[in-house]
Amino acid sequence: MFPHYHHIKYFSFVAMLSQLFFLSSCTSPSVPEHFTESQDFPSIYPDYIGVTVPVNIAPLHFHIDADASATDFVTRFTAGDQQWTVGGEDVRPGLKKWQQMKAAALTAEGNISVEVFIKSQDAWQRQKPFDITVSKDSIDPYISYRLISPSYVTYEDLTINQRCLENFDESLIYGNMINSDEENGQCINCHHSQWYNPQRIQFHVRQYLGGTIIAFDGKLQKINLKTDSTLSAGVYPTWYPTKPWIVYSTNSTGQSFHTRDVQKIEVQDTKSNLIFYNLETNEVTPITRDTTRFDCFPFWSPDGKYIYYVSAQWQRRDSTEQMDFELIKHYKEVQYNLYRMPFDEQTLTFGPRELIYDAVARNRSVTLPRISPDGRWLMFTEGQFGVFHIWHNTADLFLMDLTQAAPVEPTPVAIFSPNSLPASVLPPMANNVQRENIADSLREAQGLRTPLPAAIRPISELNSPDVESWHCWSSNGHWVIFSSRRTDGNFTRPFIAHHDGNGHFTRPFELPQDNPQYHRQFLRSYNIPEFLSGPVTIRPQDFAALIKKEATPAQLKMK
Amino acid sequence: MKEHKTEKSSRLSSFIEGRWGWFIVIIGLLAVAGIKLVTEESEFLLRSQEMNLWLPTGLYWKTLMQYPGGAVSWLATYLTQYFYHPWMGVSILCGLWLIICLLITWIYQLKGPWVALTALVPLALLACIVQTGYWIFYQKLPGHLFVPTIGVLFAVLCMAIQHILDLSLPSKVARWIRLVWMTFVCIIGYPFFGAWALGATGLLAALPPTPSRLPLSSMRLWIRLILAILLIAAIPQIYYQRLFEMTFRDFVYVAALPSMRYSQDSFEQYRLPYYAIIAAFLILIPIAWCSAVASRQPASSTAGRVRGVFATKHFWLAPIITLILLCAAVFGVSKAWYHDVNFQKELAMNRAVEDLDWERVLTIARDGSTTVRPTRQMVMYKNLALFRLGRAGNEMFDYPEGSTPQNAPWKVRITQVGGKLIYYHYGKENFCYRWCMEDGVEFGWKAETLKFMARTSLLNREWTAARKYLDLLKKTTFHREWAERYEKLLSTPDAFDLQKAEAAAKAGKPLLDEQMTREFLPIMHMMTYPDRLDGDNTLVEMYLLQTFAHGNGDDPLFQEMTLICALIMKDIDIFWPRFMKYASMNPNVHMPRHYQEAAYLYGHLENKVDISHMPFDKSTKETYDRFMKFNEQCGAMTEEQKAVAFYPQFGNTFYYFYFLVRNQKTN
Repeated sequence: MFPHYHHIKYFSFVAMLSQLFFLSSCTSPSVPEHFTESQDFPSIYPDYIGVTVPVNIAPLHFHIDADASATDFVTRFTAGDQQWTVGGEDVRPGLKKWQQMKAAALTAEGNISVEVFIKSQDAWQRQKPFDITVSKDSIDPYISYRLISPSYVTYEDLTINQRCLENFDESLIYGNMINSDEENGQCINCHHSQWYNPQRIQFHVRQYLGGTIIAFDGKLQKINLKTDSTLSAGVYPTWYPTKPWIVYSTNSTGQSFHTRDVQKIEVQDTKSNLIFYNLETNEVTPITRDTTRFDCFPFWSPDGKYIYYVSAQWQRRDSTEQMDFELIKHYKEVQYNLYRMPFDEQTLTFGPRELIYDAVARNRSVTLPRISPDGRWLMFTEGQFGVFHIWHNTADLFLMDLTQAAPVEPTPVAIFSPNSLPASVLPPMANNVQRENIADSLREAQGLRTPLPAAIRPISELNSPDVESWHCWSSNGHWVIFSSRRTDGNFTRPFIAHHDGNGHFTRPFELPQDNPQYHRQFLRSYNIPEFLSGPVTIRPQDFAALIKKEATPAQLKMK
Repeated sequence: MKEHKTEKSSRLSSFIEGRWGWFIVIIGLLAVAGIKLVTEESEFLLRSQEMNLWLPTGLYWKTLMQYPGGAVSWLATYLTQYFYHPWMGVSILCGLWLIICLLITWIYQLKGPWVALTALVPLALLACIVQTGYWIFYQKLPGHLFVPTIGVLFAVLCMAIQHILDLSLPSKVARWIRLVWMTFVCIIGYPFFGAWALGATGLLAALPPTPSRLPLSSMRLWIRLILAILLIAAIPQIYYQRLFEMTFRDFVYVAALPSMRYSQDSFEQYRLPYYAIIAAFLILIPIAWCSAVASRQPASSTAGRVRGVFATKHFWLAPIITLILLCAAVFGVSKAWYHDVNFQKELAMNRAVEDLDWERVLTIARDGSTTVRPTRQMVMYKNLALFRLGRAGNEMFDYPEGSTPQNAPWKVRITQVGGKLIYYHYGKENFCYRWCMEDGVEFGWKAETLKFMARTSLLNREWTAARKYLDLLKKTTFHREWAERYEKLLSTPDAFDLQKAEAAAKAGKPLLDEQMTREFLPIMHMMTYPDRLDGDNTLVEMYLLQTFAHGNGDDPLFQEMTLICALIMKDIDIFWPRFMKYASMNPNVHMPRHYQEAAYLYGHLENKVDISHMPFDKSTKETYDRFMKFNEQCGAMTEEQKAVAFYPQFGNTFYYFYFLVRNQKTN
């Protein structure tokens, strides 16, 4: 339900003592001599069957989901010519054994073979063995993320955390309760580092004591990015790869609630633009100001030459109606395309926008472009409509090969609606997602919808029937981490997958936890998981002290 | 004669000076408190444990330990579970209070009537509980009902350990150990017990020495007091800097105490019982010192004169002081005790709705033992019960109307009190789920919210989400059985497909047992509306009225609800199409009385719809005629006067509701 902090080592002493007690009262488990074979893989949580893990990942602890008649469990790990056995339905080999397993696997074929034996009604059965592949490609040692209950307007106990991927240590970067009371609430969001550097990070504080917190090589600042000529303070950020420059979207955002749909909530922008912030001069420069377009989710290419972002065109249907009501009414018609703008490092100016992917012509909406460190692969989230795909169960991850991508001309299309197709072609019992997919296939067959460009493919090896979004490449480009609601449909969990450098991914695995059932009990979502090359060393109390101070207003600089 | 008198006086004196006689007073007080709690506050205690959650997981422990004083909450939430059987929880509570009294008596070496004064502490603790009222929905401190008791018990146990050390160690060692122990309690105790550890530090500093260690040099006493002040001032700040990264700095000294703040308001009156705990010790400490000093001094000395108070000569003084203080404390508790008939009724109705005992809801709504008008929450429970019984159209105006605000010094919202239950039964599952999530985030997770989240997930066919909440509930002590009952439903997904469920029921092979069918089937009928984006602005009743009244469904149950809401909204234009549709969908059903009344009235008011061919009941027409005639007779009356005058004859008609029930302010 709730976070754990390695800072509370103090209290771990009690847990350690109890573990020692239990360990001393147990004997080492042995694999049964006689057993029958099952043709099925064991049912385990998290599902680590057939996954590939980095050489420096924390132990993959898992829980065996067996029926009530199961009375005993033994799991045997085999790597090379070495074997380890672990007893119990919670399979927790621990850090030391796990290091040995990985080392042995790397000297052999890279695989750790796992056999699960379950005793039921006095008879043992071996489940179908599975492999965990250990990759020589390492992963950045830390990730940062926000932990938030998937609530709608309340936000107590909101934290930005960091987690060491090499073990189970988790600690706080900043939590809102240190500066909140009943009267004054505080939201925190949009943490982001410059090129994985934990010394160069930023996040926003909203409402009480609001401002943008920027840590840059030991210097801590609190900036007010809102100016008279910009829509809002900075929202979704992207750092320039090397210089202290950040491009933000500025957004006017609202949310409303689905009365029946299990997606439950719709977050919409009623306005959004892009701004450029120069930390050296503390100046904000508007980049886009078109009131008929919603520009969002900027991302700087690794060479710094382009800003990729998404943008939706919106023409008012009824100017007498309030804009947010109009958008609520037509929320499915707001769809975003993928654009980029060239950036001139000398003049700090942006060139004209170029359409890179016309998703609207495919009755789709893209968000969150993220480019691999080698600059070749662009991963984005695509859904049916809207910009906040973490609440859309149509949201999937897509990959674009930028070596094959080129600016395209927009295709004029009609507004898509499932109702535009005769009801007879849509199965009555299909859910919304199924109906939309069937409708789109039919449109594509009729030439009403453009096919997917050759440079783009859905990453089926990563996607699930539920939400995938908020992805991030590792600094070596061999790993991606993304959020998915596939576990229970309501709470996002981070998943990690290996990338072979050629656009192919292995089966993703859920972020390992010491207690394998941790995520089943945990009632908060992981938001924006991002890799870090090391831990953020600034203490939450230091952030808190800074946040209590007045924000420095940024100066507006018009081009 | 004189000898006899002296003997009698001596016997009385020894009785008064004895300890055990006064324990009877304590036990008596605790017994009365326990009986009153069980008999008068059962509904409150039951709801308290529903608004509580204790999980035997490391994650739960670590979550609470993010804040100083997490262990108090952990223990308190554990014990709060036992209010599932109110007598059991109350027995534990009274047992702990008795232990506190016994320990204080022993530590402070109290004798005679002063023993009974230890009851001041449990009386203050009792006041902390019985003052709660609507705080149970707004209190953010987990296990708040048991927290003061656990906190005080911790402080008293710290003193007890010190007392044992004093008795068993040599004088010189004991002197130093006392300082070490006090420091230890503050440093180690603070993260686990928060402000209660600071209180324990203070009590240890003020703890009188055992008589054999007297006289105590003032220097030593000053060292102890200064050290205690330094510890109390410094330790929370050090922990804030080094360990607790989620604690607001202003709150470090009041960690593990209920804040008694809501939104922008702070409610000092609710802190009085907590001050009373301090006051009780401030009374007991000087008595303990006097008692200790006096027991070591000859009668001729100053201290000996102090002892005189305890001596036989003045044996009457101590009991009188004791009785006065106890009476004052009992009076204080009775003043603090939250008595509100609507609060009790809301709790009882809520439980009846949860039990699907609709008749019991109506019995409570009908209760005429008070003239207090109902809250909107109660009216909504009553309407729900009538709707579920299929009697709303005939009886919805048979019950008292009202919009009495909930008796709390802040604005109580239905969303926090019973809104989730109401949304749940009216098929607004997403809104029920939403408010569970919002409240879970703001006020902490409760068994009640997890139960709603599990059931709304089942109804939304979100099986994995439902399993998650059910698995959590299965870890609890008393809700496991409930969770296991609902867990079985995961294996019958067709039961949550209305068409399949109804077809199976018609074929005589229902997919759910009778109880589950009674619970889920009507809700599934109410869920037959299309999705849209919406918001309730925290006004449950207004939202339901608006959305149903403007809704249009083909499900008979849903359709009737649109008619009922159109009726309550008094919206004539909306009423007619719903009335016509109801008539066409229920051709063989006798048109309920209130629907007839509305149609008859609107037909006369506007003449837009021809009602001449409609087969109104004779009584509908007669009542209307009588109403109008009486209205002519009362022409000079104000609307308020009419409301009173008309009520005996017409209070149960739509005519009365339409003309004379106004300004029902919902929350």
